Amino acid sequence: METEATRSILPLLAFALPIVAAVLTVPAQRVSEHARAALLLVVAAAVAAVALVLAAGVASGTVYDTYILQLTPQIWMYLRVDAAGALFGATVAVLWLLALVYSLGYMREEHRLGRYYGFFILCLSWTMGLAYAGNLLTFLIFYELFSILTYPLVVHEETPEAMAAGTKYIVYILFGGTLVLLAIVLTFFSAGVQTFTAGGILSPETDPSMLQVIFWCFLGGFGVKAALVPLHGWVPDAHPAAPAPFSAVLSGVMVAAGSFGIIRTVFQVFGTSLLTSMGVMPYVTGVAGFTVLFAAALAVNQDNLKRRLAYSTISQMAYVVLAVSLLGPESTVGALVHITNHAFMKGGLFLCAGLFIRRLGAYNVQQLDGAARRMPITAACFAIACLGMIGTPPLSGFTSKWYLGLGMLETEKPWLLAVLLGGALMAAIYLLPIVYRMYFREPVITPEDRTVAEGREAPATMLGPLVAATAITLLLGIGASLPGMPVALARMATDAFFH
Amino acid sequence: MDAGHAAEVVSEVAHLVSSPLPAALVLGPLLAAALVRPIGTRWPGVRNVYVVVVTAITLLGAAGLIPLIAEHHRITSVVPALLGKLTFTVDSFSMLFAIFTSFVWFAATLHSLDYLKHEKKHDRYHTTTLVVLAANLGVVLAGDLVTLYLFFEALGLVAFLLVIHTETDEAKKAAGKYFWMTVVGGFALMGGIFLTFALGGSGALEPLPAGHGDEVLRWAAAILLILGFGVKAGMVPVHVWLPDAHPVAPAPASALLSGVMIKAGAYGIFRVVTALFRPEIGAEVESHLWEFSEQLGLVVLWIGIATMFIGVFLALQQSNAKRMLAYHSVSQMGFILAGIGAAGYLGAHGAMGVAGGLYHVVNHALFKACLFLGVGAVYYRTHSLDLYHTGGLWKKMPITFVFMCIAAAGITGVPLFNGFVSKCLIHHAIVEAWEYHELASLGVAEKIYIVTCGGTACSFIKLIGLMFLGRPKMEYGPEVKDAPPRMLLGMGVLATAIIALGWFPQLLIKGVFQPGLHAWGLHSDILDHYLEHSFLSGADVMSVVTAFALGFTFFFVGMKFHLFHLHAPQYFSIDWWYRQAAHGLVALCVGIDRAYEAVRGRTSRALRLSRSTYRTAAERLGRQWRLVTTTLLTGAPGARDQHLMQEAYLVLERERQDTVRTAVVHAASCAGTGEVSTDAVREIAAYIADRMMRERLGVMGDAVRHGTLEHALAVLSGAGPLLARARRPIAEAAYALAPRRERGESITRDVGAVVNSLLSSERLDLLVAERVSASRVTLGRAADSLGTARRALPHVSDLSAVHARGISRLEKAAAWAVELLRLAVSGFSQERSGLMPGHQLKEETIVRTRLQIQRYARDISANVAVVFVVLLLFVVALAS
Repeated sequence: METEATRSILPLLAFALPIVAAVLTVPAQRVSEHARAALLLVVAAAVAAVALVLAAGVASGTVYDTYILQLTPQIWMYLRVDAAGALFGATVAVLWLLALVYSLGYMREEHRLGRYYGFFILCLSWTMGLAYAGNLLTFLIFYELFSILTYPLVVHEETPEAMAAGTKYIVYILFGGTLVLLAIVLTFFSAGVQTFTAGGILSPETDPSMLQVIFWCFLGGFGVKAALVPLHGWVPDAHPAAPAPFSAVLSGVMVAAGSFGIIRTVFQVFGTSLLTSMGVMPYVTGVAGFTVLFAAALAVNQDNLKRRLAYSTISQMAYVVLAVSLLGPESTVGALVHITNHAFMKGGLFLCAGLFIRRLGAYNVQQLDGAARRMPITAACFAIACLGMIGTPPLSGFTSKWYLGLGMLETEKPWLLAVLLGGALMAAIYLLPIVYRMYFREPVITPEDRTVAEGREAPATMLGPLVAATAITLLLGIGASLPGMPVALARMATDAFFH
Repeated sequence: MDAGHAAEVVSEVAHLVSSPLPAALVLGPLLAAALVRPIGTRWPGVRNVYVVVVTAITLLGAAGLIPLIAEHHRITSVVPALLGKLTFTVDSFSMLFAIFTSFVWFAATLHSLDYLKHEKKHDRYHTTTLVVLAANLGVVLAGDLVTLYLFFEALGLVAFLLVIHTETDEAKKAAGKYFWMTVVGGFALMGGIFLTFALGGSGALEPLPAGHGDEVLRWAAAILLILGFGVKAGMVPVHVWLPDAHPVAPAPASALLSGVMIKAGAYGIFRVVTALFRPEIGAEVESHLWEFSEQLGLVVLWIGIATMFIGVFLALQQSNAKRMLAYHSVSQMGFILAGIGAAGYLGAHGAMGVAGGLYHVVNHALFKACLFLGVGAVYYRTHSLDLYHTGGLWKKMPITFVFMCIAAAGITGVPLFNGFVSKCLIHHAIVEAWEYHELASLGVAEKIYIVTCGGTACSFIKLIGLMFLGRPKMEYGPEVKDAPPRMLLGMGVLATAIIALGWFPQLLIKGVFQPGLHAWGLHSDILDHYLEHSFLSGADVMSVVTAFALGFTFFFVGMKFHLFHLHAPQYFSIDWWYRQAAHGLVALCVGIDRAYEAVRGRTSRALRLSRSTYRTAAERLGRQWRLVTTTLLTGAPGARDQHLMQEAYLVLERERQDTVRTAVVHAASCAGTGEVSTDAVREIAAYIADRMMRERLGVMGDAVRHGTLEHALAVLSGAGPLLARARRPIAEAAYALAPRRERGESITRDVGAVVNSLLSSERLDLLVAERVSASRVTLGRAADSLGTARRALPHVSDLSAVHARGISRLEKAAAWAVELLRLAVSGFSQERSGLMPGHQLKEETIVRTRLQIQRYARDISANVAVVFVVLLLFVVALAS
């Protein structure tokens, strides 16, 4: 982390371009729908390109930074692209691009598209800012912005369920945001304004009870977003209510943003040595381990596909927190890689769920009987993503589980393997029966649901992103060790954290 | 082992020659599988040739390993993928597995071309077999545990498609069971592999360094690994999927599943026992370092004995030929495990066990594949697999019969067939193990071994005897003839190998086992001894004769007493317990979800309740507050207001009475018919007039609150004609409604309608509101306050009279309270029941009510005054 940062405009572009696009969405819509689509696609692709260029640059050893805005004489809004941020940013940008392309097909029939696309691309901006934030205050600003401004996307359908889910979402998120704000204020009070630093910015001389308060406020705040169990209530309601492409992003990236916040907090605000001496991490391990198994158990009994996937997200993202709580290098690699891997697997699954809704009218697991015959490509993608979630080699889920497992051994907690493998087994229990239904059950077609009977493979705008997500899942698994892949970046980030 | 030899071994092991062949062997079929469907959809014939050629080339490639291994002992290839790299390392044992795997695959593929004619989805079948072939080769050629796990999982999961191929309900059920056990086994395996890292392993298939991790961890790792591999190997107690899954697959797939794929599990256990948990090769081998390996070997040996015995016992109960063969697969895996276990138990001297176990792996692959193919051929022709329904087929299918006999001779261990060699080797190994530490229990194991061999013999006597010999139990048409040539070719290839390995055991022993054992630093001289002195010796042949004698005894006793149709209750079967456990797990999940939802529901109900409670409370508070502020701002109705109210009341009361009178008069004038009683009319009119009066009085009450009653009163007295306008309609309405009233019908609604329409046409309140203005309000209030103050001051005479009149005052208060209560009750009951209150409005009542109002107002004023005084005192106290 001591390397001198290179001043670059690219991070600024990554977060400014979507804002411009969001502003131009409505004027572009006046021109034509195609103009709007073109604008959004160009911007999202540009952001993805920027994020990938930054990731490549970071992988070759550079650290980029840029100052945006001076808030007070001491406080700057400051972007700094390190390995962890570059990895998360690249994940966000690519998944967002896929979800956007998918939206063009999926949302065609929906109402108020200007609002949807405007907020959708705007959220990309906040999330990129979050990934690249260089100090706590910048992080907080983007965190709050993207938490609150996703509300219109959650309630987009404006059905009573969506409105209720939206209310729940906003209550939870505001509660979490308040805790984060409190934690950050206390951090500034204790340590002043500092960029994220590997060893942590809080000094060990700080009042221990103050440290405890700060830590638990951070954990409680980010835990809402990362859906740790007592704080997870919004996730299973928000996902089924939101439109499928947004669900994909919500599950793939937004929940991960909470975990990302926890990673930043643990390694760059507190630092491993301080946390070890505070002795809080075993509790976090306990909470995360419980979340893994509990959410997975709940997922088994969900009939609504998206709801089941939402519980799966809770379970899977708890792996990240679990890994972080071990404070070991291998497990941290696993945590960072798992965020990326999970984003594309779960993103892919939600895109599939959207296709099943659109093409078959199937919201529930039972309605998917025989779906593979009518939608072979979608079903194949779904099956691959499911196997990935379980951690079957050579898919990407295996890679992250592998590093998690090694991390558990490295920190001498082999009994945690039971949680790791138990969660994976539960994932098999709640996901694979769906795959079985799709391939080996006879479809039950009643005369009145013609949509189900006539379901066919979706057009390329929707199928393309899905296939791409699946391909990425395969690539991230088979090519996990290639240079420039998430593992390499995560390794760099981890080296920096444990420097 | 002397130092020179050890050094030599180390140098050989360390000297790995790189070759692309192993990787090509694995990746070749995998890539070839991708082309099956594109070719198959256009030219099925070409596809058939293609798959045979691919398997043949794979077989040739595997054979190509022989010279390489002979020269270099171990070769390796590395593919950069997954977590760094996939390594393939081949030693003699891996080579052996690779060769027989591709050999049996070739034979089964040949056989499948005809057999599949009555199945669907040929492309899927062939794609699957090629992928599984690649995975299987990947398992046996893997050089590290991650690669091994990758291909093992692929093998297990993809083979699911072979099990479910026919897609009958039975197949689906079996496939489901197979799948879940594979998944659970896979996780156990992964856990075991992780734990080897905790034990200081590097992930390679090499001995774990001593001194890392404690004993518990070591046992946990070993058990998880053996369990993980054992699921695939059909090891008791995790064998339950096997007897279901193998019979439902198409026969060539059964041959592959039973002949080859379960060997992947055996291979894994073999490596675990003889490679992972043993001391470093070439190190100064002290006996205590072998301790763990010995104990593990003993465990595996006993698992093997249990597996072989239980397998054969259950096989004897079966009537379906394929199912019987599947149980024999379990049993034969027991032989293999016993061999491997003995090898582990004997440590550095375990050559006999290794050789026996692995020899039996190869043998079982050959004869079990051949048996499945033969039974498949029978099914292909007769569409029956039931032992008790077929019979006498040797005449119809002579060549198949011969091949079946060869395979049966192999599996039962007839001398000069391959099973004889391996069974004798394992037997020797068990005896050797017994002699090693003189463990009495191993003596029992040896006895069980012989009995099991007897059971096997019995079983195949039954198979051949019932299916091929004896009298036919049904009429066979002309379609029942010998199998097509490609099927026969597949079986013939296997039968040849069975005989070859029975005649020339040195092929494997000298060609494969001795160099392999040497490379792993084990003593292999004992195998030379076996070949020279024990092979086909009297003792060995005698043990086979014993086994056959037992077999014939079992057969005849069993047939005579129908012992082959015994069925144990279901809770005896491990399968049943597994199913209970699985259902229990799902039920637990469902239960957790229900409990969670219940808690969540309760919480949200509690939240909602508290919210509504809060709202109600807040509303009530607000109302109170409004009342208080209104009272404070406008003051309670004072004495002057009371006076004015009374006047208004009198005016309205007069109007009411006039109205009633008008109605009665009107009724009387119309009552020429005489049907309508005057009483009813009066009643109704009184009621309506009463309602009207109360509404009008309400308007006056509002005026009181605004302090403008005198103006309102002026309006009221001026509005006499306006009010009088309502009389006529009321009279008419009363007259119209009277008959219905008499009939006892409810007229409340009609009365309400009349009142409403009259009120809305009258709008007295608007008239009053016109006269209200701020200045008037202020003036009125000032006058009122003055009057209140004047009247509030008690007279001196009153004060002096207090003592004297105490009791009477109490009486008055009580009377007042009772009166108020009565009024309240009557008010409530009137509102609700809609009873006509006319009879209550007597002159006396009016006066009394008037008095009540007066008293009530006075008391309220007194209260306000008290509050005011207290506040004043408070302010004064604060100021001072």
